[in-house]
Amino acid sequence: MSAGAEHPILDPALAPPFPVAALSVLRNPQLRKNVAHAIDVIQAKRARLVAEKADWQELRTAAAAIRDHVLENLGAYLEQFEERCTAAGGVVHWAADAAEARRIILELLREDKADEVIKIKTMTSAEIQLNPFLEAAGVLTYETDLAEIILQLGEGEPSHIVVPALHVNRSQVREIFARRMGIENLADDPKVLTAAARNYLRRKFLEVPTAISGANFLIAETGAVAVVESEGNGRMCLTLPRTMITLAGIEKVLPRFADLEVMLQVLARSATGERMNPYTSLWTGVTPGDGPQKFHVVLLDNGRSSILKGKTERQTLRCIRCAACMNTCPVYRQTGGHAYGSVYPGPIGAILTPQLMQMQHAQSLPFASSLCGACYEVCPVKINIPEVLIDLRAQVTDKQRNTFGRLFDPMYLGMRVANVVFSRAWLFHAAQWMGRIGLRFFTRRDGWIHSLPSMGRKWTQTRDMRGLPKQTFHAWWDERSKEAR
Amino acid sequence: MSIATVSRKQILNRVRAATRNSTAAEAASSYATLPRSYVGRGLMNLEECVDRMAERLREYDAEVVECAPNELAEAIRAQLAANGRRKFVVPEGLPAEWLAEGFEWKIDHDLPAQEVEQVEGVMTACFCGVAESGTIVLHHSTMEGRRVITLLPDWHLCILRASQIVETLPEYFVRCEKPPRLVTWISGPSATADIEMTRIKGVHGPRILNVILARDEGSES
Repeated sequence: MSAGAEHPILDPALAPPFPVAALSVLRNPQLRKNVAHAIDVIQAKRARLVAEKADWQELRTAAAAIRDHVLENLGAYLEQFEERCTAAGGVVHWAADAAEARRIILELLREDKADEVIKIKTMTSAEIQLNPFLEAAGVLTYETDLAEIILQLGEGEPSHIVVPALHVNRSQVREIFARRMGIENLADDPKVLTAAARNYLRRKFLEVPTAISGANFLIAETGAVAVVESEGNGRMCLTLPRTMITLAGIEKVLPRFADLEVMLQVLARSATGERMNPYTSLWTGVTPGDGPQKFHVVLLDNGRSSILKGKTERQTLRCIRCAACMNTCPVYRQTGGHAYGSVYPGPIGAILTPQLMQMQHAQSLPFASSLCGACYEVCPVKINIPEVLIDLRAQVTDKQRNTFGRLFDPMYLGMRVANVVFSRAWLFHAAQWMGRIGLRFFTRRDGWIHSLPSMGRKWTQTRDMRGLPKQTFHAWWDERSKEAR
Repeated sequence: MSIATVSRKQILNRVRAATRNSTAAEAASSYATLPRSYVGRGLMNLEECVDRMAERLREYDAEVVECAPNELAEAIRAQLAANGRRKFVVPEGLPAEWLAEGFEWKIDHDLPAQEVEQVEGVMTACFCGVAESGTIVLHHSTMEGRRVITLLPDWHLCILRASQIVETLPEYFVRCEKPPRLVTWISGPSATADIEMTRIKGVHGPRILNVILARDEGSES
């Protein structure tokens, strides 16, 4: 969509490793400018509204504890949700993986004789790649969130989980809308563009009888589903159609209705820097005379149950998808979302994606971080992302350690040699001496090394290196004590 | 066993094998010990709550007028007259005196969506107002109406009584005797910031929100 960028691949099984995928973004100044602008705005708003909340840390503690409690007792709460939702007139389906979820949803649509469907923004549906599947099966999908329309009409991919089109600027949106909606003389004013989307969708809301949503929360106590949004497209999809299909990860459960008193307070502040998002809807099964009279929930596992096993990894599933971690991440700020090769970018994506892939793909993601810890600090459910990152790095390294290919890996060989050298003082001194002589040829007059040949280039192509001092600390110390005598 | 029940069993087994494998009763007893040291009840008196509610609503660009309890019907008439619209939808349960003369009132007895879309505005009561975030809560009772009537019209006039206002979100949850089946939390008119983070008011829901804050008997002190 942006000039010069290749079309991003957000399927973790097919996407290139993070450093490769990041290159095309790093070479695209327009894209970087769009991303930086958007997250600067959200971050400033978030910081202001979190600061005014005197009990922010207590809310985080409560939110983390509630989410942990749910995960620890997930089996009991899922069964309770199923029972209550069914009693309220909903139908609960269970999907072990993405393929099963897609098949269930298509069957429900066929039962309903639906050849088109309106959608509320749901990252879970992007995770299972639902839209291309439905389109191939002859069902037209209409995204209704403004950002999702921009991406659907522009054939782009989401780069953020709350504002998925933050990498697209107004003139790019104008171009997409003018071309795809057939509007001449469209101004690039966000107000005009938003109005164009409103008109474009109004008929669809009134005419398409089937809708698909995600869920922010499932309430075990009552079998209710909550959706948090801003635009009202969610309310339209939840209210006007005859049939509603909700796709939700199994981890989305909350024990009780009243737990929303914590979650709604932390979610909006963290996600968009608002005291409360404009609209939150909660519905329980079907209500005669109000809203869809057929309601299905598809509970999706797709790798989640395997994340529950490890205590450290389990905290990944506390996530309530606020995106505060990506907004604050110095790596995301530079690369945007597409480099992560998944619909879940940023720090949470770096830990969630490889685990959802059962550590078979996306193995570069745990390394796509400086471990600065900013993500942990802002996380409303206190996920210690650096801790999980380190744990996953260890898993990746352990796996590589046991392969034959390691014998050709310069990093592995270098570490083995270092292991020998660093554990023997005489070898270490000899290495220092040789290094001082060898590096002298590359050290400029300013004392810095700007470029090294062969393997060393990997280090110096993105940073300068201090030349080695003429004297080691040990040598200096010895000399000094001799002089003192 | 059908494929559907196989997956259900498989997922629950995997989940239970990876976790505590607790019963609902065990879950409930550990739930009771969760830390909840955040602010529950606020410190403001009713007067301050009402002021804060009005202030926060105005920050969302909602128009807010306050009135004494015996002036409510007059305040409604004035708001209707001032905004220039004529054709309104209302839920079944509103007091007759709220439906001012000189306007066209459509009472929602299961009106089809297409008809709701034809009106110019909607007037409803509400269940609660949360002052801290300027949130209006609808439980969709007969005074608040079906969800569709507060969604399609472009203008929403909401009557909020001072006694319905709480300071904090947790206080609202205390007011719910049992969990409601349907809830809509409304914090200002619909909005988006999807294009360059520029906040645009009014995407799909009502573009204009007007609130009449009615003092209750004896709340003036």
